[in-house]
Formats: sequence, structure tokens, C-alpha cells
Amino acid sequence: MNQYFLYLDRDTWLHRLDARTKVVSLLGIFAVALIFSDPRFLIAPAILVVMALISAEALVNLRKMWLLLTLLFLYCLLLWPFFVTGRTPMIAMGTLTLTNEAVRYGVAMGLRLDVMFLGGILLLSITRIEEFTLALQRLGLPGPMAFALSLAFRWVPSLIGAAGLIVQAQRARGLDLGAGHALGRIRRYPPLVVPLIGHTLRHTRLLAMALESKGFGPGAERHGFLELRMRRADYGTLAVMVALVGLCIWLRVAGYGTVEVRFS
Amino acid sequence: MAQTAAVYAAILIPFKVGIPIIPGFVELRPANAVPIVASLLFGPAAAWGAAFGNVIGDCFGTLGPGSLFGFLGNFCYGYVPHLLRGHLGVLSSERGPTPSSWRQIIEFMVICSVASMACALVIGWGVDLLGLLPFWIVVPPIFLNNFLMGVLLAPPLLFFLHPRVKRWGLLYEDIVRSEASLDPEALDPSTELRVEPEPGRGLDGSGARGGRSIQETRSTPSSHPSPVTRHHILSVENVSFTHTGAARPALNGISLRVRQGESVALMGRTGVGKSTLCYALNGLVPQLIPGRWSGQVTVNGHDTTSRPVWQQAGMVGLVFQDFEAQLLSTNVTMELAFPLEHLPQPLSPPAMASRIERALERVGLSGLDRRDPLSLSGGQRQRLVIASTLIREPALVVLDEPMTDLDPEGRRTLASLLASMRAGGTALIVAEHDPEDAVAADRVCVLDHGAVVWDGPPRLLFGDPDIPPWYGIRPLPLVSCFAGLKLPDPPMTVEEAWQVADAHGLMVAPDEAALHQEAVRKDAPVIIDAHKVSYEYQRGSPVVSDLSFAVHEGEFVAIIGLNGSGKSTLAMLLSGLNTPTSGRVLVGGRDTRTLGAGQLATTVGYVFQNPDHQIFAETVGEEVAFGIRNLGFPPEECERRVAEALDAVGLAAPEVRKLDPFSLTKGDRQRVAVASVLAARPRILIFDEPTTGLDAEQTDRMMRMLRRLNQRGHTIVIITHTLSLVAAHAARCAVMRDGRIVADGPTREVFRTLTDPQFAASVGLEAPSLTRCAARWGHTLLTVDEVRAALRKK
Repeated sequence: MNQYFLYLDRDTWLHRLDARTKVVSLLGIFAVALIFSDPRFLIAPAILVVMALISAEALVNLRKMWLLLTLLFLYCLLLWPFFVTGRTPMIAMGTLTLTNEAVRYGVAMGLRLDVMFLGGILLLSITRIEEFTLALQRLGLPGPMAFALSLAFRWVPSLIGAAGLIVQAQRARGLDLGAGHALGRIRRYPPLVVPLIGHTLRHTRLLAMALESKGFGPGAERHGFLELRMRRADYGTLAVMVALVGLCIWLRVAGYGTVEVRFS
Repeated sequence: MAQTAAVYAAILIPFKVGIPIIPGFVELRPANAVPIVASLLFGPAAAWGAAFGNVIGDCFGTLGPGSLFGFLGNFCYGYVPHLLRGHLGVLSSERGPTPSSWRQIIEFMVICSVASMACALVIGWGVDLLGLLPFWIVVPPIFLNNFLMGVLLAPPLLFFLHPRVKRWGLLYEDIVRSEASLDPEALDPSTELRVEPEPGRGLDGSGARGGRSIQETRSTPSSHPSPVTRHHILSVENVSFTHTGAARPALNGISLRVRQGESVALMGRTGVGKSTLCYALNGLVPQLIPGRWSGQVTVNGHDTTSRPVWQQAGMVGLVFQDFEAQLLSTNVTMELAFPLEHLPQPLSPPAMASRIERALERVGLSGLDRRDPLSLSGGQRQRLVIASTLIREPALVVLDEPMTDLDPEGRRTLASLLASMRAGGTALIVAEHDPEDAVAADRVCVLDHGAVVWDGPPRLLFGDPDIPPWYGIRPLPLVSCFAGLKLPDPPMTVEEAWQVADAHGLMVAPDEAALHQEAVRKDAPVIIDAHKVSYEYQRGSPVVSDLSFAVHEGEFVAIIGLNGSGKSTLAMLLSGLNTPTSGRVLVGGRDTRTLGAGQLATTVGYVFQNPDHQIFAETVGEEVAFGIRNLGFPPEECERRVAEALDAVGLAAPEVRKLDPFSLTKGDRQRVAVASVLAARPRILIFDEPTTGLDAEQTDRMMRMLRRLNQRGHTIVIITHTLSLVAAHAARCAVMRDGRIVADGPTREVFRTLTDPQFAASVGLEAPSLTRCAARWGHTLLTVDEVRAALRKK
């Protein structure tokens, strides 16, 4: 698979799941992460997703993204305590008081974001672009949009390749992107963006011709090669996800899994 | 939409300035100017593009529920400019989107601020709603980032793109106006097929797709085969076509017939109409490429203009010159499934799978079914595209310059694939430049100024070495060698040359001392010194490994090898554009790691294979001056150097400076690219495939220019697949395999090793026909003149 995509071509039980099951399960993970605001209750979903990543043999993607995940966590941890407040003071700095609840809330928000992003990484590691867009189509996205989305996905690596060449070609003529202040650097981008857009416009025209030459047209009917088929494992996975989300809602309604904070 | 999404996502990923304001949510990124520009040029499609582009960007690692609000926010960001322009009451300028007057600047600023605010509010609200980040933390940086990027970057982009997009007929308001002006009732259904001219032409001068379909202006469709053409797969009858906006016709009364299983080589200079004719064979011309059309093309008796192109995919398979544009999927199987998914008679998935397996076997790609097409070599990608056309079992396959980017091994594989297709009864039309490839065809059809000027068997055309140059075609080198003997049937292949020599009692016996051989300048100072360099794009997979290579001042060196052997990577290392993972490269005695872009540009000039990757200025003069302006030279000095550089590449005429570089031919654009590098007066010039896509005359001009630059003292390094050019021009040659140099020395010595079949097979190369011919007598000759002078009676 292309280096830019996260998809890993493996044959694990998670890869074999129907793409719709994967998308719905991702929504389940998002729901679980959104239900709780107590870090203790978010540790379990985080561990669960990491275990799923291990099971999907996708730890390599986790290694690619760990820095971003750590930054996100730290950002939330440092930011939220200044926007919420609780009952138990920890540190007082002038008019500002950090509370125990606010810090816990910050940790929880960091975990929440990480769980969500880990869920996204899991989905992208086990789902081909074609399956992903087909699943979105089956879940209600209009066909032409699903197709355009899939084409755009396909295009990104080749455009990144072209962009890389353009950067090199302009560097060869003395354009130093890294030098100077931020404003100066930004102003040096037109020589990069203009050839890229020109390249894309030429490519668009060829693409329209290529599509029609392959039988794709406004009135052409598409008879899909990929078959989305729900198997026993899909129903089992969905049942577990429904049960998990149900359990989390029950816990939340019963008063568990939240940290009581006031937004300042 | 897909285009804006892809551009946006593609720019988001590599072009981030790298200042994460809120990691995963907000970054200072110049790409955020793209939705505003796209919206003002392409209308609502930009909104979908921006929205999907953002989601795609997230799919490279930061997909989460916030992506939903990113989608909505970016949709607003891409939609608001289109919505507001011209609808701001007194603030509307009622003029074009480029901020060139006060009123336009005010309108533009309002548009930027409202669009940026709409985007920021939607994302801020959504992220806060999900409890991810506080509203007031998210909104200001998103607004500032979008607004700043829009205000700083969108104007220069608009100034450059607006006139061009308008000329290419892609401006949203023009398309809408054009569609609104369509009045099908006014058309007489019995008239000759004609597509009304539309403003704008394609970048390559061949016209852009307009907003209307041929179906709206054509005569009554006929789906019955024409009795006149029943015995031919293809019949082209008196076809003329003039691209919209062009002064001269691209096709001018062409007639051509092709039988089942017949193979026709289309030849002629660049720009004589070969590609246009190829596009006309499945109806792309005039259906998607607009212009004035007359005549008739029928395939299997069906008029190609009587049905939309997509309905003819089963009859004609077309492989573009830029075949990479035909790759649409993320794995090989899906690539081949795509045409099958659009068959008029549906196939079951197992039946599709079986056809896919057969097609892969036929083109020699079995076992690669799960690979990403972009991870395949150039030759494999091309065979994949051929498989995707063959899979619908068309009666006619058309290939537009298929050999252009292939290394010798790839060419051999493709040639044998084409032979097997022919044997299977498929008619073939192959546009090409190389006479050695065309010799295998049943017929050669030469075009000039859009007309067929020669049609007959290849032996008749190539038998006389004086005829091909009339049409800008290189004569066959072996025929040129034997021309003096006035043979009735001159040899065209190496084996034939040996037979002729035996029959006439000839041998090759050169005067070794008289052989022209440029000495390798070992005595000159070393100007590039690569010492034990390795380079990896991905950890653990070195593309160049532990390689040492030195270039002496004033040398003309060619680097050859298969695709993927590491030639371009080595060239990038030698130029300092890449720095080695290990080892060091010294240029002019200085480590490339310590040289900034400006110092590099004045020391090493690197000319990329595709000039369009660097051209962005509005005039040739501006383009050539770009590099030296970056280096901070005063205007008078820039002016002097531009004149000098343009003179060196043969574009000294003053009117050339004012031309739009995109209006030039590819050969001339390549010259502009060389001039823009030369203006910095580098001592070393590195060229990556400088003759790709050029015809024989343009190739000669380019190589003569390189020779001239070398004679003026520049050190020249070229990367090429064309060994005959290496033989004729380079004094020294290095052969690469698997990231290492396996042969290096004077060209004659290296080519002597290439005549050893075992060595040639191990590096996937083959010495030019002349060299192989002379090798039978134990000599290594490189040029026609050398062989001709060495031919004598036993």
C-alpha cells in the first residue's frame, strides 16, 4: 500500500469484517469516548482500541502517530484546567486556582481525543479506500460523491509526489523555503502552488477522458466487484459494540464516569 | 470537486508550514488559501472539494468526530466566497475575482473575513459541542489562519490562475453561461456533426472540455454498422478537426483503414496530430475535446460520434501517452475491476475475478494483484493500463507513445506483449518516435501538418535513409550504415546486417587509432565527489547504497540503468537537492549538507524531466529570471543573465521573452527550464531524461545544445534510457543496478561490456544496434559514421 495511506494489507479477523461494521463500530468507539468525562472510565476504551490495533497488526501505524497523540494529550491536559473549575483546590496562583477536578477533566479530555484518533487509525489501518467509500455509499452517501471522494483519495499520493518534485525544482533555482520569517516563507508558496494547480488541471482533463474511455459515463450503470457481505463475525462485533455502548450509557445514567466541573 | 479535494488534501499534507497551533485541529498552513481561490474560480464544486479535502487530510491520521465539523466548516469556507462575490450590494465590485482595484480589494477582504469566520464558528461550535476543546480556544486561531492565508496567498494565486483558467474554459461563470446559452431546439438534426467553439484551450494547446456534450449538437445517432466499412475494424474517412481557438487544423482530411489483427505505427514530428488522431478513434475527439469536426470514424462499422465515448469502451481500448492518468484505484485488482464494473452486460464478481486473473497473466503481472499501482515500476504500470483496456476485449487497441518512459527491458516486454495481442487478432495502432520499434509494424502511417503523407510497409519508408528525415523521423541507424552499398533490401535489424555482410563479403574493420574517442578527464580537478553515499526514502530500503562516484570538471557523463536502479536518486544527491542518509557528497569541495539553496543553484543546475513542474511565471522572461531574483541579483544583472541564458538555449528572439511559457511546445518549454537554470551560471548541469517525449529533430537540437554547453566549460551529467544518445554524445558512462554503480568508464569501454549478453542481461540493458552489429567482428563502435567508415570487403 502507498506510504501515505495508513491501510495495511493483512488478513486478520478485523480486516475481514464488512466495511459497514467497521464504520459503525468506529461510531461506537466515538460514542463511548464521548459518554465519559472521568479518566478512569476512559482507560478501558483506550486499552480496548490499542488491543484491537495489536490484533489488526497495526502497531506500526501507532508508532507513526504516537507523537501527535502525545501532543494532543498534553495539550488537553495543560489547557482544560484553565477553562474549567471544580471543588477541590490543588494549586492557587493569584486569582487562578487549579482544582483536582479540572486536572482530572483535562486528563479525561486528552484520553477522549486519543481514543477517538486511535479508533480512526484502526479503521484506516483495516479498510481499503474503495471499501470505505462503498460502505459510506451503502450507509447513505450519494453515489457520485462517494466516487468523487474515492477518486480524490486516489489522487492525493500522486499529487504529493508531484508537489515533492515541484518543491525540488524550485529549490534547484534557489527558492529557499525554510529561510526567513514566517511571513516571508508563506509568500514563497505561489511558485509551488501554481505549478501544482496547473498540473492538477491538466490531470483533471485527462482523468475525465480516462474515465469515459473505461466505460464510466453519466448514464453508465455500475455493477460492483466488491461485495459487502455481513457474516457472523460482523453481527457478533456489532452486538458487542451495541452492548458496550448500552453499558456505558447505563453507567452514565447511573451517575458513573463523570467529573463534576463548572465551565469558567 | 475531486480535483479541489485532492489538491487541498495534497497541499495540506506536504506543505504544512509546520506550526501546529492546536495539534490535530489548527495549524498555520498556506494550503488554506486554496478553498477561497477554488471557490472564486470553480464555484460550488470548491465547497465540496474543501470539505472532502479536509476529511481526506484527516484520514491520513487524525480522523475523529471533529472531522464532521471540519467537513461542515470547510464546506462553508469553500462555499461562502462563491456565494458572496457579486452579492455584497454596494461592496460588490461587479468585476473579476482578482483584487486589482480598490473596490475589488474591499470585496475580496470582506469575502475572506466572512468565509474564515464562518469556517471558524462552525468548527469551534462543533468541537466545543463534543467537549473536545473550548470554543474560544479554537475559533480565533482558525479564523486568523484562514484569513491570513487567504489575504496573503490567494491574491497572487488568483492573478496567475484566473486568466489561465478563463482561457482554458474552466471558469465556473463561463461554464454556466455557456450551458445557459445552449438551445438544442435551434439545431438542425440533419446537419454535419459540429461542436461549437468555446473559449479556452488546453495547456497543451489541444483544447479543454467545454460545458456541453457532443450529444447536444450531433446528428441522429445510428447504431447500425455501416456496410462500406464492414471489412475493416477501423475506417477513418476524410477526417478534419480544428481545436477550439486554434488557427490551423490538427487533422486535415485524414483517411485510414485498418484490418483485424493489423498493426499500424503512427509516426511524425511532435504536434503533427498523432495524439489527436488517437483520441478521435474512440470519440474523445470531438466529444470531450471540442473543436470543428468533419468526416467520419467508424470502428466495427459504428460511427464513433454516434454514441458517447463510454459506450464505445468495449470496441476501442486507448492507452494515453500520460498513462498514469488512467490509474484510478488503490490496488491492481480494483484497477482491472473498474472497466468490468461498467460493462453493459453485468458480470458476476466471480466472473470478473476470473477475467482479472487472465488479464494479469496476459500482461505478465500475475501475483501482483494486491499491490498499489503506484508501487509498481513504470513498465508494470503501463502494462496494468494495457490490461485494463484489454480486459473489455476491444477489437482495436490504440497506444499513444507507449515506449516513452520505458527502460530497455520494459520496451522488450511491451514489444512482446504487443506481438501477442496482434497474434490474438487485436488490431493495433501505436504512435511512436523510434524507428526501431516501428519496424515490427505491418504498416507505417506518417502524419505531417495533420495529414497522412506516407502510408505503407516500414521497409519501404526506412529502406531509404533519406526519406524519414523529411518527416522529422530518425532513419534506422543500420540502414544508414549500409546506405553506400545501394542494396535493394538494406538490413534493418542486427541479424539482417550480419546476413547482408556475409552475403556481400563485408566486415567491420575500423582503424582503431582513428576512432574518435574523447578522453575521460581524469586529469581535470574533481568537481563532484560522492563518497560511500547511501540514501533511503524508507528506513531499511536503500535506493542508493554505499556508492562512490567522482565527476571531473568539464566531463560529459551519462548515467544509465533500469527504472528503479537509483539513477535519479544519485543525480539528486550529486546536485545537493537530497542529502545522503550516510556518506558525503562534496560539490566544488564543499559538503552539500552545508550548502543553502542559493549556493547550490549557483554551483549545480538541475533540469527536471518535466519542465511543467517548475514553470509558473506568466512570461518566458519572468520564468528565466525567477532563479536569479531568488539569489538577490539587481535588475540590470538579471536582465543581462536572462538574455545570455536564452541565447545559450537558442531562444534569443526578443519576442520569445513575452510569450506565455505554456504556449510553447514541450521541447521549447524544456529549453526555458534549462535557461532558467543556466541564468544562475552553475558550473555543473545535471539533466534528468532531457529528451523524453521529444521527436528526432527536437532531440537533436537538445543534444546539440548540451554539447555546446559542455564545450563552453559546463560539466554535464545526464540520466537517460536512450543509449544511442549516450553513444553519440557522452564521453563517460556509468551503469547502475540496485543502487550501485556496476560499470563506469569511457563510453566505448562500457558499451563493450554491454555487448556481453550476460552482463547486458544482468543490468537489463542492451547496447545500440550499431554497437551490437560491430561486436561480431570484435569492435566497439558507437556512431553511424564510425560503422560506415569501418565497413569494408574481406
